[in-house]
Amino acid sequence: MFIDFFYLLRRSGIPASPTAFLTLHKALAGGLILSLNDFYTASRAILVKSERYFDIFDQVFAHHFKGTDLTDTEDFDLDEAAQLLLEQWLKNPLELARSFGEDESTLNRLSADELIEYFKERLKEQKGTHHGGGKWIGTSGTSPVGHSGYHPGGMRVGGTSRSRSAIKVAMDRRYKDYSLEGPLTQAMIGEALKRLRNLVPSGPKDQVNMDETLYQTMKNAGEIEIVFEQSLRDRLKVILAIDNGGWSMDSYIPVVQTLFNYARAQFKELSTYFFHNSIYDNVWSDPTRYQKPQRVADFSRFDSETRFIVVGDASMAPYELMTADGSIHLEERSGKPSIEQLRFLAETFPRSVWLNPVPERMWGYTRTITMIAGIFPMFELSIDGLEKAVAHLSAK
Amino acid sequence: MTDNGLKFSGANRYVLDDELASIVNISMALEMPLLLKGEPGTGKTMLAHAIAESLHMPLIVLNVKSSMKLVHALYQYDTLTRLNDSRFGDSRRDVSNIEEYITMGKIGQAFMAERRTVLLIDEIDKADTDFQDDMLDVLDQMTFDIMEIDKTVQARHRPVIIITSNAKKDLSDPFLGRCNFHHIAFPDPKMMRKIISVHFPGLEENLLEGAVTAFYGLRELDAVEKKPATRELINWIRALKADPDFTPKKLQKGDVPYLGILFKKSGDYQQALNFTSRRKLF
Repeated sequence: MFIDFFYLLRRSGIPASPTAFLTLHKALAGGLILSLNDFYTASRAILVKSERYFDIFDQVFAHHFKGTDLTDTEDFDLDEAAQLLLEQWLKNPLELARSFGEDESTLNRLSADELIEYFKERLKEQKGTHHGGGKWIGTSGTSPVGHSGYHPGGMRVGGTSRSRSAIKVAMDRRYKDYSLEGPLTQAMIGEALKRLRNLVPSGPKDQVNMDETLYQTMKNAGEIEIVFEQSLRDRLKVILAIDNGGWSMDSYIPVVQTLFNYARAQFKELSTYFFHNSIYDNVWSDPTRYQKPQRVADFSRFDSETRFIVVGDASMAPYELMTADGSIHLEERSGKPSIEQLRFLAETFPRSVWLNPVPERMWGYTRTITMIAGIFPMFELSIDGLEKAVAHLSAK
Repeated sequence: MTDNGLKFSGANRYVLDDELASIVNISMALEMPLLLKGEPGTGKTMLAHAIAESLHMPLIVLNVKSSMKLVHALYQYDTLTRLNDSRFGDSRRDVSNIEEYITMGKIGQAFMAERRTVLLIDEIDKADTDFQDDMLDVLDQMTFDIMEIDKTVQARHRPVIIITSNAKKDLSDPFLGRCNFHHIAFPDPKMMRKIISVHFPGLEENLLEGAVTAFYGLRELDAVEKKPATRELINWIRALKADPDFTPKKLQKGDVPYLGILFKKSGDYQQALNFTSRRKLF
């Protein structure tokens, strides 16, 4: 029972385990599930273990039990194509309407967004029924846009005012906000960075060391000798270097700020430095990169156990990285190319990472990203990337 | 399960939506722990209290701390007292009987209880992953060993287990595999009105309306670090009610007093203040 549903969930990327599926059957066999509504809540509680997948679950549920369309991976293409159609429509409404078998005035009534939805719908239909005919459009010529199925507001089925059915609930896609592509919040960053903790004894001696107490008591011929020790505290040293210059980083400022805010609250010994594009002779402690320079060469005197985290898009002209006078700021040209400085830093701090707000799939397109990724282990500035970075930083 | 047929359907001070009620009931019937996630202030902890109240079961709360070891939640072997007793011998305990120096932790108490209990494991995400995995083993088997005396403790009644987590991050897979999951979304205005009327029976209609509207308006503010939650709203209404000068009309005009109850971070407070004073001009 529901095996198709289970596999559809798995195919859609929800990590539902067979054990959980068996549990669901236990619930079914126990007579706990009496309606589709029950089935919706129960199967979600049992099979789906994170709110990030609730949205996908809703879609799959609606698809399986009602037959609405699943947004598939081809959606991107469809978006593109629909956009093209819209442009065409703007140029020549009449012709396009005719090619869809629609009256021009019907389409005229739709807003731009609705038009796009409409085009996408028709394009999808076309994909499905293409075999056989060279017809561009599907069979039904009159279906108005709006019941698109995966559009959140699309489920305005008239007439019914009964209590909300599971399918309607599922079609609402209430959990869209929690999907994986959600923004990086402080809580997420905090969660990821928490694992970096490095506990060492510090503070007042207020904990009894039992083993030592017993040993000392025995040595004392049974006269009790209580030994206290310090409790464990986090003493991790972190250096955070942030690229805050230029236009290229502007769009990532909010996410970097979140990271910075959290890091400041979390780590006792945190130094933050700023640079522009890449690291040359100096980094600065002030965001304006003017008043408080810190010579990069002096980093060699720092504790090599310090975790060195660079945040930057690593995107620049190759000569800025490679040539001796690469810096776009004249006063910084001292003769050592930036790539040497980066190598020096990576050697000084064996536990270092480069966090890149640029999505990982785009890295191959920028030459300097690949080059810097060869020096620093580079991770995407996203939840997953941050977790990998932390795992790398805390590895022994 | 000894007390079959027990169905949870809400409590005095807790407004329950049907979805959550059926999830709680299914978890109880399947004898699986229920993991609750959600924003702070959506009533995760309150749910356990409500279940305990409505099913008339004692509630045992395990507040997880980051430094906690699993064994602390199970039992404690009070070596220091034993050492003291052995040295001075002025207690009635039998020093050679280690069992007398074992005290039960919260999970141990739930296992040893005479009746079925509700065990709330609060903020599990604070502990490290090992703790979580080991604990699920214990809860799965319903047994644990007391190493010092080589005794196995078997649960007399399987407790109703509610686990809460604030984290946006997922817990480990083996952990998730063994419990049911629900995410409590922030209540919508309709639900919120119900919650408020449960807490303040007979509250003036226009005060309720104004407060809830203003509250959701303020929650919409961008770039607020800590959004006000249900708890803040309830406290805020309490303050509004206590203020003799306050009339619900003020809220409609955009005059929002006691912002400090809703926003607890100074940056957020400032932002909310700017927002409301700007609105007052119009």
